[in-house]
Amino acid sequence: MAIAEGEFRRLIEAHQRMVFSIALRVTGDYHTAEEVAQDVFLSLHRNAEKLAGEDHVRYWLRRVAVHRATDALRRRAVRPESGAEEWSEEQSVGEHGATAHLAVAARLDELLRGLPETLRTPIVLRYQEEMLPEEIAAMLGQPVATVKSHLQRGLKLLRVKASVTMKEYVRGSIG
Amino acid sequence: MDRLDENEMSEFEQENIESARFEAELTLAMRHVDPPAGFADRVLAKVAEPEPRRAKILMMPRRVQAWVGGAVAAVLMVGAFGIQQQHERRQRAEEAARAQQQYEQALQITGETLDHVRAQLQQAGVPVGD
Repeated sequence: MAIAEGEFRRLIEAHQRMVFSIALRVTGDYHTAEEVAQDVFLSLHRNAEKLAGEDHVRYWLRRVAVHRATDALRRRAVRPESGAEEWSEEQSVGEHGATAHLAVAARLDELLRGLPETLRTPIVLRYQEEMLPEEIAAMLGQPVATVKSHLQRGLKLLRVKASVTMKEYVRGSIG
Repeated sequence: MDRLDENEMSEFEQENIESARFEAELTLAMRHVDPPAGFADRVLAKVAEPEPRRAKILMMPRRVQAWVGGAVAAVLMVGAFGIQQQHERRQRAEEAARAQQQYEQALQITGETLDHVRAQLQQAGVPVGD
């Protein structure tokens, strides 16, 4: 039996930020992220009756979003920075009068987009979704040791890039 | 193993603090982002759209898709084999017709030559049987 429209809308509104954010940070492209997110919810509509409970839905959406975003990234075979300008504009709407935190967050997002896909996806799941390495390993179908290694390498790369390019971070004017 | 001296211990602790600070900053930076306005409405509108036929084929279970793909490939192979056979049959018939034509032409030339030789022999007074 198909899911009722009202219930489906509730699920979209409850999870759209998570799904869109995963798609955006994995693909690095604003328009591709919307296409991926739409595709994920259309897939949810077809499979909703197989999912039991809110946690199951959240887990399923995360998993499908990661895989669809990775597929889209590989299919497009574009540099992830291609849609970065529009995204940065969206991000910096309130930056003029904003705190240093917002500026640093936007810069960290930019640096994240420069990471290779194999390192970026675990970083997104660890720091955006706050998943444990064991959970990430199960979701990506990788050994836990591989995930931990990717997380360490990703973090190290990000820190090096941040220390080179981000004055705010080096000065320690935040945190 | 040697124990860390005071400086090394201090560096180690500083590194840990820096690392934790960076991770905290990253967690703050990676907050969820709003999708473009009207996202939910666009998804619902797409759900309401009738599914194109092609989509139904693509939505078949993988096993069924494999069977359908195999059947299509088999039909194409049989078709291609049939076409090749027909082509070869036609080629053989054309070659046979050509050979028959050449044979008849050769017979005609031989007959004409024999008639000519017979006529010359008769003119020379050599008796020639029928």
